[in-house]
Amino acid sequence: MKTYLIDVQGQVTPCCSRSHIAYRFFLPRPGGKLCVDFAYGPKNLEDREKAKTLIEESVGLYVEEEFQEQAKARWESHLPLKNLITVSVDAPDGHRGAAHRHDPEQHLVISRDEASPGLEHGELFKGLWEVTLSVHAIVTDGCAYSLQIWQEEGDA
Amino acid sequence: MSWLACELHTHTFHSDGKQSLSELAAGAKALGFDCIALTDHNTMTGLAGKEEVERENGISIIPGMEWTTFFGHMVTIGLDRYVDWRPVGPGDIHAGLAKVHEQGGIAGMAHPFRPGSPMCTGCYWEFEVSDWNDIDYIEVWSTTFAPVKNNNARAYRFWTDRLNEGYRLAATSGRDWHHQEPTDEPLSVTYLRLEDNDAPLRDRAIQALSSGRATVTLGPRLDLEISREGTTYGIGDVIPGLPESGQTFDQEHVSAVQLSAVQSSFVQVLATADFSVRSGHWELPEQTFTLKLDSNQGVLFEGSLLRDLPQITAEVPAEELKWLRAELWGIIHGVRTLIAFTNAVYFE
Ligand SMILES: [Zn+2]
Ligand SMILES: [Zn+2]
Repeated sequence: MKTYLIDVQGQVTPCCSRSHIAYRFFLPRPGGKLCVDFAYGPKNLEDREKAKTLIEESVGLYVEEEFQEQAKARWESHLPLKNLITVSVDAPDGHRGAAHRHDPEQHLVISRDEASPGLEHGELFKGLWEVTLSVHAIVTDGCAYSLQIWQEEGDA
Repeated sequence: MSWLACELHTHTFHSDGKQSLSELAAGAKALGFDCIALTDHNTMTGLAGKEEVERENGISIIPGMEWTTFFGHMVTIGLDRYVDWRPVGPGDIHAGLAKVHEQGGIAGMAHPFRPGSPMCTGCYWEFEVSDWNDIDYIEVWSTTFAPVKNNNARAYRFWTDRLNEGYRLAATSGRDWHHQEPTDEPLSVTYLRLEDNDAPLRDRAIQALSSGRATVTLGPRLDLEISREGTTYGIGDVIPGLPESGQTFDQEHVSAVQLSAVQSSFVQVLATADFSVRSGHWELPEQTFTLKLDSNQGVLFEGSLLRDLPQITAEVPAEELKWLRAELWGIIHGVRTLIAFTNAVYFE
C-alpha cells in the first residue's frame, strides 16, 4: 500500500537559482520504504543566442580580463547549458544524504537495509522528515518540477 | 617520515561520477597512487564498504565530501560525519569551517577559479574569507595537465599572494576525477609526508596536509630542506626567528659579533628531485631542468638540475623571508611549464 505524503508541482525561474526549497512532511508509521520521485524540465537551454549571452556574462565575471576574448571564442564548448536541481533528505534522526547529479528524473528510495546512491539506508523513523530541492542553477525562462513522496508498507 | 602518493579529489556514482569506489580505487592503484580521498558532492554514502575496497586494492581511502554549494566548492576531508553545507551563505563560510574543524576535518578550496554558473554551478569561489588561517589548503592544480590551465595559474598566484601576506596555507592538486577514462595528459600527484608512528594512516595524512608537509608534481617528487645553525627543517616547518633580525649594519664598522650575525642570517638550502617515484607512470624528455627557489622576496636562486644530478644546494639570505619554496621547471608533454613545486618552509 502506498501512502502519499507529498505530491506537489512547482515552477522555478532564473531568480530561484541559489535557493533551497524544502518540503517537510510527517511520516505517520515507522518502517517500510520511503520513495521520492522527482522530475524537472526542461533540462537544457536550447536557445543558442541566450546561451551565448549567459556564457559571455559568466566569462566577464569569472575569467581574468586578458583571457576573456579567448574564453568567449570558445563559448560553444559549454553547450548545452543545463538547469540543475538536486535532492537531499533529512530524517528526524539526522541527514540522510543527497543525490547530486544531473538526471532530470530521479526515483529515490530509502529503507532500513537499502537506499539509492547518495542516500543513506537506515530505520525509517516516525516523525517529521524533510526533502530539500537545492536549485543550483536555472538557465531557462521557466522550469517545472514535480515531487511525489510516499511510504510503502512492509520491509523493502 | 614516509611519503604517500595521493589523489585528493574524486567522485563516484553516489554523486555525479560514473564509477564505483572499487573501480576508482583500482584505477588509482594502477596509476601508482597509495591513497585517495573520496570527495563526492554533498554525500558520504560512497564510502560504504571502504575497508574492503582498501584491502582488495591495497590502497588507502580518506573520507571526505565536496561541499558543492552555490558560492563555491570546498573539499572537506578527514571527517566521518556529514557537516551540512546548505545553511552556509556567501558570508558564513567561517561558521561552516568551524564545524568541519570541530569534527577533526580539514577544508580546502576546490578549483577556486574555474568559471562558475551557469557553466559549472558554484565552481568559482565567491565565499568571503576574512581569516585565511581557517582555510587549510588551496587546490591550486585541478584536472589533468594542470599547470598549463589559466585558472590553475591564477590559483597558484592567489596562493602565493596569501603566503606573501604571512598566512601558512598549503597547496595541493586534485584531478576532480569522475570516471575511469584513459588520458595521455600528465597527472598531478600530491605527496604527503607522514610521520612514522602508530596513529592511523588517515590521521597522519590529515596531519601532514594541515601542517603543509606536501609537495605536488607531474613527475619527480621535489623536496626541500633548509639548514640554519646545524638544524634542518623540511617542507611545512617553521624556522624560528633570527636573534639579530631587524638590525642594519654599517659596512665600515662591522664588529666580529655583528659579522657572525650577518653570516647566520643566511640559510643553506637543499632541493632534491626524486625521479624514481611512480616509475613508468609519467614521462619526461631528456633535458636540463630549471630549479627555482621562490619566496616572498622573489626568486632567490635559479639553477640547473639534471635527472642524473637531481640535487641543488644554495645559500640564500634569510632576512625578511616569510616563506621559501622550490619549483621545478622544464618541458613536459611538449610544453615548457612548471612541473613540480613544494609547499613552503616558513620563517618566523
Ligand atoms: Zn567541484
Ligand atoms: Zn569535484
